[in-house]
Amino acid sequence: MAVAKKPRRKALADTPRVDAQPALVLHQQPYRETSRLLDVFSRDHGRVAIVARGAQRPGSQARAVLLGFQPLLLSWFGAGELKTLHAAEWQGGIAQLAGLPLLCGFYLNELLQRLLPRDAPNPPLFAAYFEAIQALSLLPREPGAEVEPILRRFELALLSSLGYAPDWRITAEGQAVQPRQRYGFEPGSGLTPSGTRAGCPGEALLALAAGSLEPQWLLQVKPLMRQMIASLIGANPLHTRQLLIDLQRL
Amino acid sequence: MAVTPSSLNQLIEALRVLPGVGPKSATRMAYHLLQRDQGGAVNLAHALEYAIATLKHCRHCNTFTEAEVCDICADEQRDHSKLCVVEMPTDLMMVEQTLAFHGLYFVLMGRLSPLDGIGPKDIALERLLTRASDGEVQEVVLATNFTVEGEATAHYLSEMLRARGLSVSRIARGLPVGGELEHVDPGTLAQALVERRHL
Repeated sequence: MAVAKKPRRKALADTPRVDAQPALVLHQQPYRETSRLLDVFSRDHGRVAIVARGAQRPGSQARAVLLGFQPLLLSWFGAGELKTLHAAEWQGGIAQLAGLPLLCGFYLNELLQRLLPRDAPNPPLFAAYFEAIQALSLLPREPGAEVEPILRRFELALLSSLGYAPDWRITAEGQAVQPRQRYGFEPGSGLTPSGTRAGCPGEALLALAAGSLEPQWLLQVKPLMRQMIASLIGANPLHTRQLLIDLQRL
Repeated sequence: MAVTPSSLNQLIEALRVLPGVGPKSATRMAYHLLQRDQGGAVNLAHALEYAIATLKHCRHCNTFTEAEVCDICADEQRDHSKLCVVEMPTDLMMVEQTLAFHGLYFVLMGRLSPLDGIGPKDIALERLLTRASDGEVQEVVLATNFTVEGEATAHYLSEMLRARGLSVSRIARGLPVGGELEHVDPGTLAQALVERRHL
């Protein structure tokens, strides 16, 4: 269903417009009296800040359309940093997330908000995000659902599409990764041989380098991913990760 | 250059605590109150002061009340075995208007919103746990919003309460009463199909 609203200003021929762009809403918050401020991840325009005018009014039809984790077709206009939503169309095909998969969805969104700069188009990452949300929506809601491989696959796509992923075959010292050795990640340099059992086995890294994203390898790289992401996001920890930890303690 | 008197400045700054009020709106409000409606301004000041001094959270349900225990919680006629959890006092009022629920309430005064940094320690989860474990409550009905944040809150609460052996339910979602498929938005209809029930 289209929620169309005529732009209040005269439609200027030279105002940049984007029509029916595949996108998902990462986050939204009330803005001014009756509007909403959307943080949107779109396929061809990357992360965009968009105002949805009147979406906060009671009975606004946009409310049922502008949902997180739902594929949408968004049209917007505006030359500045903050765009104005013109139309939002619900695309469907993905059930609304609930339970543990929903919290994992928040984790993906927080990663994107923290690491993906605004207005930087990144279609491969959009595809990876879309796939991850779709995979999460197909999981059962119970704890113990197989969320881990989905999260690792997305983290890998995020790191490599932003240029943070190292060559998985070579250590920081330029030596070849050995299948039987374990490795850790040193911020600023790269992979380093690790003496502890916590490191990631070399064979998993070599499998990743060969393009294998099988769950058995993905599960092994979790500590490494954690170190790499922690070094990127800086001192402020991820709220969603803390929430997942709190949940596990219950 | 004209200098704004400091008391006026203070008023403008004070008005900016309201959500959605920036420096311009605050200035407009301040001038309106002082110029056009001084009586209203005095009333507003008194009402604020009175509310701050007398309102507190109900010992049982956490909603705003002037007494130690609010009227609903103090009502002996209500069903003490059912506890309905809502986000805000306005939600409580809406559920109350339906006349469909005769149990007691608990108001979280917020919701989990991981992307805004609002975690389990920022809403009244500990108090809910204490309240729900009083031995009388048999069923906890989760009536948080059907937004992604409300759903996340419901999931967290259900895990927390079920881990303590409490029976937890969630209000249903689907077509509005009297809704016709032809006129309902596709997202609601899709979810109604996903969450269809066996007859």
